[in-house]
Amino acid sequence: MEAVPPGSVIVADWYRNPDSRDFFTKILHKKKRRVFGLLEAPVMPPHLKADTVRYKVFISGKSGVGKTALAARLAGHQIPNMHYETTGMETSIVFWPVKLKESSRVLFFQFQLWDCGENAMRRFDHMLTSCKEQVDAILFLFSFTDHGSFKDISNQMSRFTDPSDRVVRLVVGTKFDLFMHTDVTESEITRFQEVSRVPVFRVGGDVSEGFGEIAPLLNALAENLWHQDCIHASSASLPPQPHPEDTNREVIV
Amino acid sequence: MLQADTVQLLCLTAASGVPLFSRGSSKQLPFSVIGSLNGVHMFGAGQGTVLSSCETERGSRVVWRVFQDSLMLIAVSGGGNKALSELHLRRLLENTWNCMVLVLGRDELANVRNVERLKRELRSCYRLIDRLLERGGEDQGFMGDLTHCADCLVPAQPGILQETLDSFTQAADSEFGCLLIRGRVAVATDKWLRLAPQEVILLSTLANSLSGVTSCDYPVFLPQGSPTVAHRLLCFQLLPSAVVCVLCGPSPSLHRVESELVGSFWSPLVETLRGCLEQAERSSLPPSVSLRWDIQALLVINRETRRSVVASSRASSQNPSEAPPLSSPARRWELLRHFYTFAVTRYFTSEEVTTSPTLPATPATPAAPATQASSTPATPHESLHEDFSKGFTHQPTQCYLVTDECKCYGLQTPQHQLYLLTDLSVPTFALRSVATLTLSAVTGATGF
Repeated sequence: MEAVPPGSVIVADWYRNPDSRDFFTKILHKKKRRVFGLLEAPVMPPHLKADTVRYKVFISGKSGVGKTALAARLAGHQIPNMHYETTGMETSIVFWPVKLKESSRVLFFQFQLWDCGENAMRRFDHMLTSCKEQVDAILFLFSFTDHGSFKDISNQMSRFTDPSDRVVRLVVGTKFDLFMHTDVTESEITRFQEVSRVPVFRVGGDVSEGFGEIAPLLNALAENLWHQDCIHASSASLPPQPHPEDTNREVIV
Repeated sequence: MLQADTVQLLCLTAASGVPLFSRGSSKQLPFSVIGSLNGVHMFGAGQGTVLSSCETERGSRVVWRVFQDSLMLIAVSGGGNKALSELHLRRLLENTWNCMVLVLGRDELANVRNVERLKRELRSCYRLIDRLLERGGEDQGFMGDLTHCADCLVPAQPGILQETLDSFTQAADSEFGCLLIRGRVAVATDKWLRLAPQEVILLSTLANSLSGVTSCDYPVFLPQGSPTVAHRLLCFQLLPSAVVCVLCGPSPSLHRVESELVGSFWSPLVETLRGCLEQAERSSLPPSVSLRWDIQALLVINRETRRSVVASSRASSQNPSEAPPLSSPARRWELLRHFYTFAVTRYFTSEEVTTSPTLPATPATPAAPATQASSTPATPHESLHEDFSKGFTHQPTQCYLVTDECKCYGLQTPQHQLYLLTDLSVPTFALRSVATLTLSAVTGATGF
């Protein structure tokens, strides 16, 4: 499915808007991102009630490309300062408040990011199966410092998704801050976006800027996942109006 | 050889001496030194002796050990205040080997076919090994790496937690389940506690190293229980720092356990878990155990279940004003580790791992932990090294040590061991009764 242009379904850069503050403070703790256990979720006061929608997001990419670091960045954990191989599967939960453009309704997106070490995946068969089980979106990663990983993206995309799947696909280039060593040119990225029609996001550097660093990617994920669900809901159910609540997606009230 | 207060860990192939990795201190030892360390061990082997440890005059130590006739691990520690004891270095080698088996399986390590490939594969063990080397948990009173007893926490209401854990584990088609609160075992199923203690400690370390991760599925080989067939360790962060772990076979999938079981079993216990986390902030013992204010720190080991619990008194209000200020918690844990090492290497020797005979390369200057260096009873250092049990048919059951920082008392019964650090104000003649009462206070109130 083709990606929707940013800002067409949800309010772009909503985190900058003063009326989003009540929601964004719920994912912060002492000015840092709050870590949520599995039994926790942001709790809103009754007049600001927001539903939570859950999605499973798989992070795919070659070994050393920065999958674990991206998960930590999006979830607001401390980014490991040393590269260690991930010897299994790890998931992290990210809550992200989003305002729908049409209805002005606010939703908490709960992304569960699945990160799996490449070597572990090769050695143990159940890992890939487990990562693909009921997946809603896949982030394909390449590193700006490794041209091979960029070349590998099209391979990976053909390997992981077949067109009939309802899966949102986005490409993320990591280590964008190391532009001195960049191995992938802008024109290559532009060409790739034109051919594959999949948007490419750039991340890298420290996360001092707060939400600005991660908002474009998280918003794009939310927007595309929501759009996908709406299309599915309208094609599968009778009412002509998309009623996203009617999808089989679990809505926590 | 190395800077003070640092440790370096080397791994080489045993047969050919090819270096495989080196972890630890930032300044790596030069290749020639690594070569010599391997060479001297090999020379010994040629003469029919096993070189296992040596010590320099400035308190540096080197410890060697070959595993599975395949790989050699060498630990080198610089001198200095935080120098590691030989016991600790030996444990470090053993723990490191177990880490390697845990991640890669024994077959991979015992039959080295392709050295370059093994080098690459060993990289996946670095996270755990570095975790061991960081000694990060020491200032929070983690002792398992040294004692090989699982670091535990005794929750105020274990009943409901135990019940939930048992049924949750069962629902996940497993018999091995464990709840970790701030890194310590709060409750575990019987089978989990019957794993080898080193395994329990490593699994806890692995679960604790996943900071921020919500859940995980790690293939693990159990170094003793299942070194050649991998199991799956599933961990779920229920609340930050409250982690439930299960060891499973091929099923159920992470997704299934997480979406179907975690919430339904554990949601009703959120408040209990929060209570445990609060308790853990203060002490590993429940509030029902009251300790004398002049106890600085204690370690109780259950010798049967190989579990341990530590506690340390906080600067308390009823503390008489003339009492000297307590040393920092980190310092107290450090002293407790020193005292444990002192006691098990000299008196409670049955607790120590049987090690291969030691051949000191240089005349041993006892270098040692601050507790001994400053011991006030005019005991010459050399006499401390004498083998106590030589000529005696009995096992010592109690020992004490008075230093200028604290007084220490060790006590062992068939079931328990207590290592106690008290304030200097406690009269030495009263130490025994303080220790006995403390042990019964802890075990009586908690059934530990």
